[in-house]
Amino acid sequence: MAQTLEIIKKQQGEDQWDEPYYVNMGPQHPSTHGVLRLFLELDGETIVRCDPVIGYLHRGVEKLSEHRTYSQAMTLTDRLDYIASAANNVGYCLAVEKLMGLEIPRRAQILRVIVCEMARIASHLLWLATHALDIGAMTVFLYCFRDREWLLDIFEEICGARLTVSYPRIGGVRLDFTQEIIDELYRFTDEFPRRIPEYETLIDVNRIWLKRTVGVGKVSPEEAVNLGLTGPSLRGSGVAYDLRRHQPYLVYDELDFDVAVEFGCDVYSRYRVRMKEMREANKIIRQCLDLLKECEGEPVLADEAPDLLMPFGKVKTPQAAPHPKRGFVVKGVEVPVVPEGEVYFAIEAPKGELGYYIVSDGTGHPWRVRIRAPSFVHISALPALSEGQMVADIVAVIGSVDIVLGECDR
Amino acid sequence: MLAVEKLKERFPDEIVKVFESAGQTVVIVRREKIVDILRFLHGDVELLFDHLADLTAVDWLGKKTPRFEVVYTLYSIRYKQYLRIKAQVPEEDPSIDTVTSIWKTANWFEREVYDMFGLVFRGHPDLRRLLMPKDWEGHPLRKDYPLFLEPEKEWPTYKELREKTRELARYDWYPTLLEREKSEGAASEEADHGANA
Amino acid sequence: MAAGASHNDLDRFGIIFRASPRQSDVLIVAGTVTKKMAPVVRRVYDQMPEPRYVIAMGSCACTGGVFKTYSTVQGCDDFLPVDVYVPGCPPRPEALIEGLLKLQKKMRSEHGRWGAFR
Repeated sequence: MAQTLEIIKKQQGEDQWDEPYYVNMGPQHPSTHGVLRLFLELDGETIVRCDPVIGYLHRGVEKLSEHRTYSQAMTLTDRLDYIASAANNVGYCLAVEKLMGLEIPRRAQILRVIVCEMARIASHLLWLATHALDIGAMTVFLYCFRDREWLLDIFEEICGARLTVSYPRIGGVRLDFTQEIIDELYRFTDEFPRRIPEYETLIDVNRIWLKRTVGVGKVSPEEAVNLGLTGPSLRGSGVAYDLRRHQPYLVYDELDFDVAVEFGCDVYSRYRVRMKEMREANKIIRQCLDLLKECEGEPVLADEAPDLLMPFGKVKTPQAAPHPKRGFVVKGVEVPVVPEGEVYFAIEAPKGELGYYIVSDGTGHPWRVRIRAPSFVHISALPALSEGQMVADIVAVIGSVDIVLGECDR
Repeated sequence: MLAVEKLKERFPDEIVKVFESAGQTVVIVRREKIVDILRFLHGDVELLFDHLADLTAVDWLGKKTPRFEVVYTLYSIRYKQYLRIKAQVPEEDPSIDTVTSIWKTANWFEREVYDMFGLVFRGHPDLRRLLMPKDWEGHPLRKDYPLFLEPEKEWPTYKELREKTRELARYDWYPTLLEREKSEGAASEEADHGANA
Repeated sequence: MAAGASHNDLDRFGIIFRASPRQSDVLIVAGTVTKKMAPVVRRVYDQMPEPRYVIAMGSCACTGGVFKTYSTVQGCDDFLPVDVYVPGCPPRPEALIEGLLKLQKKMRSEHGRWGAFR
C-alpha cells in the first residue's frame, strides 16, 4: 500500500497532496439539527478549520418585538427554542416582571417550575433521540419519542398546544391545573424513572457508543468558561454553574435537587450530565406537585397583572374606556405600562443560559429586546471543539452541545 | 458594590454614570479605555468576572446623543454577581476596540453587532456579516431601518429568484402563482381607481 | 418529526424519509423560509426528478406566519410551486398525515401532468 502511494505521488506531483480539501456540510442535511452550514477545511480526514455559517433561519424576532406590545412579544419567544418553548416564555415573563417590580403568587410560581421542568425533560429526550440517531443508534429515537409524546399530551391538556405553549403570562400563568393533569403528572413521575434505564441499557456501555464519544470534543474548564459555554455543556467539564442554584428564581431555593456535574470534559460526560438532569427534573416535578397541595385554591394571576389581551369573558365593547388597572389603551387595546429602565434576566433553559435583556422607554412597546441564546454561543465554540478531530466526530460534537437553530438565529 | 468602588478608584475619568435599574448595577463608561477596564474586571482577584454573559448594542436614535451603546453583561461564577458595563459610541465614528483578547466568546457577539448595527470593532480578527447574507445592504436593527422591505428595495439574489420563478411558472400545471399576481394587480388597480375617483 | 416516530408512524403509509433529493418524490418545506435560505431550497427542488410534489408545512411556510419582517419569505409559494398546504403552528402530526393523504388523493386524480403516459 505504501509503495502504491509513492508511485501515485510521483505521477501526480508532490504538491497535489498538500492541498486542503474543502467540504460544505450544507444547510440542507439529513440530521435534523436545522439549517446550519459548516464550511470545513480538511486535511485527509482531519479537520483543520471549521467555519459555521448561520443566519438561514434569521426571522428578525428582536426587531419584530419592538413593534409589538409586551404580551404579544411573548408569543414570539415561543418560537425561538421550539423544542422547550415553555422555558423561553417563563424567562421572558420573569424579565418583564422584574422590570415592572411585580410579585407573582406562589401557586403560579410552582406551576411555572413544573412546566419548565417538563420542558427540560422533553428537550433532553429529543436531544437524546437525535444525538443517538446521528451516531447511529436508531432504536433510541423511537423509544424517546414514546415518552415525549406522553409529555406533549400533558402539555396539550394544560394549555391546548403541544409544542408552542404560551402558558405563562406577565403576572402569573394563564389557567390553573385541573385534577386530571395533576393525576397524570403523578403517574408520569412514577413511571419515568423506570424508563430512563431503558435508554441507558441500549447505549451506556455499548462499545461503539463509547468509542465514538469518549475523548471526543475535549475542552478544559477554563477554556469552556472563556468560550462562553453554559448549561450541561459546561457542567460536563466540571464547572458547577447552574443558574437555579447561583441566582435562584421562582421556588428553586426551596426544592431539593442535585446539580449534575461530570469531570470528563468530553462528549460522553455531557451525555451523562443530561441523563442525570432528566432524573433530577423528575424529582423536582414530584416535589412541586406535593407543594401544590398546600396552596390549594389560590389565584394564579397577580392582582396588578396587566390585563390579558384575550379576555376570559365576552367583551361587549372592545373599544372600551381606559381600565382603572395599571394599563392604558392604545388603539382600543390595553397595553401594559412598564417603567423606564433595563434588565438582564437569565434562566437555566435546557440548553444553557437563556438571557433576556429588555430596555424599556416607558411606553407599551419595548425599546430593545435582546435574547442571549445558548445555541448561538455553542455554535461559536464549535471550531474550538472540533479542530484536530475527524469529520465523523464533528457530528457527535454538534449533537453533544445541543443546538437548535431557531434560537441561534432568532 | 465592590466592583463599582474599585472601578471608581482605578478609572475615575472614564466613568460617566453609575445607576441601578431593577436591582441591577449599571456603569456607563466612555469607549476609549474599554479594553483596560474589562481586563481589570476579568483578572482582579476579588472581582473575577470570568463569564461574559452577553455583548450587545442598543440604538438610541432620537433619545440620547451618543447614539449607540455597547452593553457588556459580566458575571462572576465565583462571587455570584452580575455587572453591566455600557460603552457609549457616537454616530459619526461608530467604532470601538474589540475584547476578543479577553474572552473568545466575544468574537461572534461582535460580529453580530456589526451585522445588525454597523459598529466596527477595531482589531477584530474576522469581522464580517453573520446572520444576514454576505452582500446584504443596510444594518437591520437600527431604528431607521424598516421592518418590512418594499419590493423595490429587495435583496438582489432573492429578486432574481422570484423573477426566474415567474418565468418558469408559465409552464406549471396549476397556474396559481400567475393568477394570483394578476388578481392582485387588478385589485390594486381598482384601489387606485377608487382613490382617484 | 413526531409524525415519523412511534405514535404516528409514517411507514405504514409507505412513506420513508430519504437523505437525498435525487431519490425522493415529495419535498416537505417545514418551518420558516428566510431569504438567505430560499435559493438553497430552490436548488434542492430543482434537483428532484419528476414526478415531484411539494408540501408546505406550517404557517410560516404557507404564508410567512407571524413573521412579517425584512428577512422572511412570505410563503414558500413565492419561489416554489406548492401542491398541498398544511397550516398550523406547529401542525399536529395528524394534520401532516392528512396532508400527505390528500396529496395521495391528488396524485391519483391527476392525468397527463408529467407526460403523456403518467
